[in-house]
Amino acid sequence: MPDPVPAPGALAWPAETRVVGHSTHRIDAEAKVTGRARYASDIQADGWLYGMILRSKWPAARVAAIDLAPALQVPGIVAAVPARDGERTIRFYGEELAAVAGKSKQACLDALRAIRVTATPLPFVVREDDAKADGAAPVWDTAANFIPGTPKEQGSVDAAFGECAAVVEGFYTTPVQIHHPLETHGNTVSWTDDGVTAWASTQGIGSVRDGLAGALQLDQSRVRVVTEYMGGGFGAKFGPGVAGILAAKLSRQAGAPVRLMLTRFDQALAVGNRPSSFQKIRLGALADGTLHAFDFENYGTAGIGAGKASEGGGGGANLPMPYIYKVPNVRTKQAAVAVNAGPASAFRAPANPPASFGMEGAMDDLATKLGVDPVAFRIQNDPNPIRQREYKVGAEKFGWAQKYRRPDPAALALATAGPIRRGVGCAGANWGGGGNKNTGAEVEIHSDGSVEVRLGVQDIGTGTRTVIAVVAAEVFGLAPEQITVRVGDTRFPPGPGSGGSTTCPSVSPAVLDACTNALRQLQTQAGLSDIRDAKGANWAAACRKLGAGTVAARGMWQPGLSSSGAGGVQFAQVAVDTEIGLVTVEKIVAVHDCGRIVNRVTTESQINGGIVMGLGYALYEERVMDPASGVVLNPNFETYKLSGMADVPDIDIVLLDMPERGVIGIGEPATIPTAAAIANAVANALGVRVFSLPITPAKVLAALGKVPSPTPA
Amino acid sequence: MNAPDPNPDDAPLLGTHSRRAFLKGFGAITISAAASQTQAVAAELEKLNAEKIVGPGPVPVTLRVNGETLSLSLEPRVTLLDALRNVSTYTGTKEGCDRATCGACTVLLDGAPIYSCQMLAIEAQGHAITTVEGLAQDGKLTPVQKAFAERDATMCGYCTPGFVMAATALLKENPHPTPADVRRACSGNLCRCGTQPRVVEAVLQAAGGAADNGTPGDLHA
Amino acid sequence: MKPFSYATALSPESARQLASSSKHGAYLAGGNDLLGLLKEGLVEADLLVNVKALPGLGKIEQSGAGWSIGALATVAQVEKHPGLKAAFPGLAAAAAEVASPQIRNVATVGGNLAQHSRCWYFRHRDTLCLKKGGDHCFARNGENRYHTLFTGNPCVSPMVSSLAVAFAALDAVAVVVREGKELRWSMADFYHRAWENPLTHHSLEPGDLVVRVEVPLLRTRSAYLQASEKHAFDWALVSCAAATGIDGGKMKGPRIALGSISPMPHQAEAANTFLEGKPLALDDATATQAADLLLKEAQPLEHNGYKVPIALALVRRALLQLQS
Repeated sequence: MPDPVPAPGALAWPAETRVVGHSTHRIDAEAKVTGRARYASDIQADGWLYGMILRSKWPAARVAAIDLAPALQVPGIVAAVPARDGERTIRFYGEELAAVAGKSKQACLDALRAIRVTATPLPFVVREDDAKADGAAPVWDTAANFIPGTPKEQGSVDAAFGECAAVVEGFYTTPVQIHHPLETHGNTVSWTDDGVTAWASTQGIGSVRDGLAGALQLDQSRVRVVTEYMGGGFGAKFGPGVAGILAAKLSRQAGAPVRLMLTRFDQALAVGNRPSSFQKIRLGALADGTLHAFDFENYGTAGIGAGKASEGGGGGANLPMPYIYKVPNVRTKQAAVAVNAGPASAFRAPANPPASFGMEGAMDDLATKLGVDPVAFRIQNDPNPIRQREYKVGAEKFGWAQKYRRPDPAALALATAGPIRRGVGCAGANWGGGGNKNTGAEVEIHSDGSVEVRLGVQDIGTGTRTVIAVVAAEVFGLAPEQITVRVGDTRFPPGPGSGGSTTCPSVSPAVLDACTNALRQLQTQAGLSDIRDAKGANWAAACRKLGAGTVAARGMWQPGLSSSGAGGVQFAQVAVDTEIGLVTVEKIVAVHDCGRIVNRVTTESQINGGIVMGLGYALYEERVMDPASGVVLNPNFETYKLSGMADVPDIDIVLLDMPERGVIGIGEPATIPTAAAIANAVANALGVRVFSLPITPAKVLAALGKVPSPTPA
Repeated sequence: MNAPDPNPDDAPLLGTHSRRAFLKGFGAITISAAASQTQAVAAELEKLNAEKIVGPGPVPVTLRVNGETLSLSLEPRVTLLDALRNVSTYTGTKEGCDRATCGACTVLLDGAPIYSCQMLAIEAQGHAITTVEGLAQDGKLTPVQKAFAERDATMCGYCTPGFVMAATALLKENPHPTPADVRRACSGNLCRCGTQPRVVEAVLQAAGGAADNGTPGDLHA
Repeated sequence: MKPFSYATALSPESARQLASSSKHGAYLAGGNDLLGLLKEGLVEADLLVNVKALPGLGKIEQSGAGWSIGALATVAQVEKHPGLKAAFPGLAAAAAEVASPQIRNVATVGGNLAQHSRCWYFRHRDTLCLKKGGDHCFARNGENRYHTLFTGNPCVSPMVSSLAVAFAALDAVAVVVREGKELRWSMADFYHRAWENPLTHHSLEPGDLVVRVEVPLLRTRSAYLQASEKHAFDWALVSCAAATGIDGGKMKGPRIALGSISPMPHQAEAANTFLEGKPLALDDATATQAADLLLKEAQPLEHNGYKVPIALALVRRALLQLQS
């Protein structure tokens, strides 16, 4: 008997799946490996112009006037617009001043040099500690750079510490991290009498449409946003941004489409980052190993994103502490500090990686002090049963029992030990996520058997296009490559923004609903000719019954098919060269849960991606500001260092299948615990902790006490 | 187009008027499959240009891309990447940094991988340039492209053409690489999505070997 | 990049004439350094003279008592040349650590030697530091983690050429054509002006053309090591080359050079003298003593003291590597 088509309102994932949960090659892989895929930065609309932005070379300044006339005199230049009209205050190095559009990149470069800016430099401050100090240059006129947060206390922390058998303390710091997708932010925008079309490198086509409509005072219905392919976002690519709005204004002035992609330099300055953190942690446990008291003070900078509402960690500098652990007595005090630097934005699992780094470091140090195994200590104090299971599975896979040795600083002194020390560490992650109920999808079945699924979502590299094909193929009994998936257009039914690990749990139910509705319609028509099951082998015959007609059906996200709340744990093994300070991550074992897996291979790729990004956070990445000039010193890939091919460890991934929970996203949790696990492994190897990310050779050697003092000037 | 042109149209730019007139006949962008003829023109151009100062305004530049000839009018300061992506339509070659640090712009110059962002188009004349669009023949993916697709060595895909070019060059020089060889050969390419483990597997698969991806320590072992 | 004119030179003399025909003529070879500088607006050039067509300058050949490496030979050629690799493993290792395959395929030996400072203040488009004619070195009291332990002037940006470090240990001579005459420079000569003068990064004058590097065959053992923050495609925090001849199992003419800690390859005659005649099978304590001689005058800045232990370790390791 064929599977019955579910009745309306009783949508569920099939008990047995043929495609869902297995591995399907990315359906757009061929377009990507041949160069055929058109990214936002590849768009060459008819008559397109090149666009570029002039940025402030001052970290703070009062701008009196911007003279664009000389730029318009440059041969090939067609349009020039100021970023804002009238006098204004610049608050960070790299803030947008004006933009130009012209017939070549060269013309734009010449035009930017020709623009005359009349400005008075203002005092500035770019370092967190400097900005907190009395008399620091004010970043905002309306609020202090730093308003100490109000302590929040639960239980009785001071008394509780007195009851602890062991207490550890540490001052943990994490740097400002830059997203740096390989394709920079940007758009091609065409503004004609018919409205605006933007080909955007975005994580949210709807957010670009709404942002452009608002900024340009157009009806949302007259703005179309297209994102067929885009080169990564990681949280920073929502809305049109200043660049998108300027591109639109240039297009209107020029009467031609304008492609305005940021340069790598631009990318490092003005379109988001992960705030820094300076975490003072005190953690205590009772003699039986139960966590008992936690005291936490933290500040961090979100650049100019902090300050206006800095108390409590404005701008994303607030950390969820004591993270995943149950502690009865907790006191936290957090604040953001404003500096003259580009504003923070969402960045893959906002606030979680720094929280994990601080908390998991304290956990390991406390385990060492108590003389207990760090994995057992976590299982004891982390109330989440899934993570408890993940620790057990991961420890087995990793060989934790064989590899873990209690750190022994004395062993370092032994000359026979050799320069290479190995260590292991682990850490856990937690993330919410969940589906967006406003997600729709539409399906069209043609009489030749071909199928189109259309959804106004964008595939940011996570495999969303393929996920849609997988779900549709499952319903129709077809192969994923038989499904034509069209995404990345605001003319399609609304899709979610791709952030917060919500895309897969948003689109999967909507596509399941739409395809189920379509199949029901097809079955009704085909059933007239005695085809009892239109799927699979009967598909072509059933579709032929459509004759000159088609099946067109829509669907919406439905409850019960997806869920939120994904955890994960990671184990790291490192080798540290104690003479030159280099950390080599040799192995990562990652155990994650994400409910029902839709496409296994792309899920695993997401975890690889989280780990590789976490590796960079652990060892290489740091925005460096110069306190004297106020500039970002490393607005490039030369000294803002990303994990490279030679740095990436062997990675073993274990996915806990829990189809009964429904579909849950995986993008964020995969990156949360990596840096903490690596930092713990380094501490385990050295017998001393490096409390500051990134863990560079300089910091390793300093922790080992090998660095001579500076020569007095 | 924005600086005073010391070689106005009627000046003998390339030695003779007739040569200039002939080249102008190619138009701004002309693609011709008559490679032998145009290669000879490129060689002649190179010789005629030698020891002559051209620019800073636009000058004729002839590039040989994927076996086809591209006749462009470019300022000397235009990079090969800019000429491919912005002046022409070879957008498979990506711009990630424009500073020879990310590898997204990797093309093959006479078979060797180079960063097209840090080479002037005018310098690339007379060389065979291969972009990602020039790999698959008659729609058939190369083993490297096929393996990248099958091993999920592409995520957002923006870095992928550069990795494919670097890997293609590696396998030509070293058909049986170790994981460490692959990591080394692709160390000039960055990926922010995290495809690196898959890239190692894909290149080893393309080489017909096992798909163990090795560890960083292998590099210096 | 600002507009510039362009020409291809066919002889060293025409290259010089072409370059000097313009106010800011510059030679273009591999272009990695020059185009990077031009894109950031750090140097003026109104004419680029492509010197890659100069005849004979790309050759790598053995001649008499040494090898001659043309200045236009690429770093990749040096890395992969079987004869060079056999004769000077330390040189091949240094070439192999240069940047990435894509850069090694176009970067030339001459360009690697003549490359300008990588100091992030110098390379920044909006800082006017001492090296760019400003009035002070931002790094000296600023973000100086990548800077020098030794310098003869207020600028603290280091020389970062890997090849120069290997060449220094091998006592190689760079041949530079100036006004039609050949100058023969040791690596110390090649960079001594940068030691004294913050405005320069080598001893070349405008119009000077590096034509080849001659490496004597006196030192059959050589090694090169560098420490970086990443495992590949990263600048050296410290680099170190060691080379020696062998006479009856003992070192003959040993040389050690360090990179990225001084405006020139850092060498100490005392260390070379100390090692002279020591057994090739060096013990760790002796290697450590040699390393101490090289670093004892080091003047760490606020953030780069970590380079001292790295340099000590690399010297020791490079010396021990000479045995195998």
